[in-house]
Amino acid sequence: MRLIGAELIESREFLPGQWLQAYHAPTLATGSRAGQFVHVRTGDLSGLVLRRPFSINTADRATGTITIHFRTIGRGTSWFTHLRPGDTIDMLGPLGRPFEVDSRSRHLLLIAGGLGMAGVRALADEAIRDGRQVTLLFGAASAREVYPTSLLPDEIEYVVATDDGSMGHHGFVTELVPEYEAWADQAFACGPEPMLRALARLAATRRGRLGVAALGRKRGAGKAAPAGSPAARRKAFLQVSMEQRMGCAVGACLGCVVMATSGAPQRVCREGPVFASQEIDWDGGWGR
Amino acid sequence: MKAKRRIVTASGASAPARRRATVRRFKSAIVSAPPKGAATRRPPAAPATAEPSPPIAPAGGAAVDLRVDLGRGLVLPNPILVASGTFGYGIEYGDVVEVDRLGAICCKGTTLKPRIGNAPPRVTETPGGMLNSIGLQNPGVDAVVEKYAATWAGWKVPVIVNVAGESVGDYVEVVRRLDGVPGIAGIELNISCPNVGRGGLQFAIDADAAGGVTAAVRRATDLPLLVKLSPNVADVRPIARAIADAGADALTAVNTLSGIAVGPGRERPLLGNIYGGLSGPAIKPVALRIVYEVSQVVGIPIMAIGGVTELADVLDYLAVGAVAVQVGTAIFADPAIPVRLVDELAAVCRGRGLASYRPLIGTALPKRASAPSAKGAEYRP
Repeated sequence: MRLIGAELIESREFLPGQWLQAYHAPTLATGSRAGQFVHVRTGDLSGLVLRRPFSINTADRATGTITIHFRTIGRGTSWFTHLRPGDTIDMLGPLGRPFEVDSRSRHLLLIAGGLGMAGVRALADEAIRDGRQVTLLFGAASAREVYPTSLLPDEIEYVVATDDGSMGHHGFVTELVPEYEAWADQAFACGPEPMLRALARLAATRRGRLGVAALGRKRGAGKAAPAGSPAARRKAFLQVSMEQRMGCAVGACLGCVVMATSGAPQRVCREGPVFASQEIDWDGGWGR
Repeated sequence: MKAKRRIVTASGASAPARRRATVRRFKSAIVSAPPKGAATRRPPAAPATAEPSPPIAPAGGAAVDLRVDLGRGLVLPNPILVASGTFGYGIEYGDVVEVDRLGAICCKGTTLKPRIGNAPPRVTETPGGMLNSIGLQNPGVDAVVEKYAATWAGWKVPVIVNVAGESVGDYVEVVRRLDGVPGIAGIELNISCPNVGRGGLQFAIDADAAGGVTAAVRRATDLPLLVKLSPNVADVRPIARAIADAGADALTAVNTLSGIAVGPGRERPLLGNIYGGLSGPAIKPVALRIVYEVSQVVGIPIMAIGGVTELADVLDYLAVGAVAVQVGTAIFADPAIPVRLVDELAAVCRGRGLASYRPLIGTALPKRASAPSAKGAEYRP
């Protein structure tokens, strides 16, 4: 975790209201892993007192650049769109814990809903670099919000679902998952909470449906790792990248918690943003 | 453990072309650099092996006395503290903040039993500030002592434990368990948390209750005792007086202002707990007013808190009678702010030829109105 000045290299609105920005930040490009994020300061401290967290969308070690992907939803995010190449902004990062890929996993299933693409995008690059096969399932409201293939690596299989059927599968992206469940060694998801909840339910019943347990496969059968440890997460079929309103992003303010099945709130910024799906209490806890 | 603390500059001048180039081992000398050739002065007590200690007195420059005496042996190295709830237990920011250069750290609110806190969302940004409703999530006093006290004991910076409870008995028991633990320099009683159902605020809105809990805790410990006032009252002065009379060593003014935000779609309030506490620059005028009022009716030192983001805020609070300030929400935007304020305050004093920052205290108070402090910094008549 460092505070660094990152210079804007390129900024463009690649979809209506959605922006991709590339920043020169060599320490982040080389020192971060897929799933981690940066906490970025907005310019006007008197009006906007909080930084904005962004997933590291892609990290290019060769050029020392990272990209962030965001939708303009308020004053903070629109402030970023007014930056010009050459402007330097203040980034705190890399923060949070990354996706944990088992070294034996050959087939990775990535599932993204809308802006959730920003959460899993870097993992596609990382997995391909490591020689794994990647299928990316992407869900959006309509064709005009579909992440363009030109921004994705050629090596992946990209499957699209839209809520209105204007492109690809007509329906939710979660409906595509059963088709790939048997193929995938591990799955990684980022998106709206209802989507993640549905995926977690699928993952919980996957072994039974596929008969994995009956076949006596070794995966997950070894010695129990403590919940939340990298080893335990590597063994989980599904890892999810969670979102929550965030304050400090280093674990100090306890603002960005999600409830865990253990009964202890987990900080999205510190224990997360990536969690094994079974770590999360999807009913919300707190007696709701 | 004595980790090397690094500051990585965000200035364009040393944009990180190479990793090493971005790392400065030591804080550079402060704003007004001394003339070249001036003899290097080191604190005489500094061991030979210690890293060159940069702090308040740069080589050759006149040393500015920034110490704050809160009584009972608690002397802060400088008047810039980090506020409870915004700095965790002091370890979270790692190398990004040089904790040993802070005046003190007020740790997250600590209760007798572990608390899981409120349902999310717990924070949201508001114009010029933020609302939070953490609900005192903490692992309980025993776990706090076990996990952090040893680390704190190795730090130069005093750590003040913020204590919350639902009953007088709770407060007393927590304080008993903190009493005598190495690494704990003082207690800040949080009698004004607006975000918990029972307890919390009830003690802060009634002078008798506030005095009662202060007196009970006073009997339980000899640790320096700070009490944090709530702004959510009609007149804070009788409450402040009751707390001072009950034996508190200092006051912290103020806690967050109670508020709410409306959620997306406007179907319900945004925060999981509905109510949250407003902090940040938005509350500065309110906090300033309360410090102004309280400093005229009590003789104990007052620590101001509320929207400090720059040196002008520190000077404003000093002018209305505070002896120290706590920085809270601004840390989220820029974790380096507190340490920078220490340097800037020293520079201002040097610029005005002051040997101490104390002449800056109370300058905006009505003349003859404020009683001189019994301990701590001297007030101007």
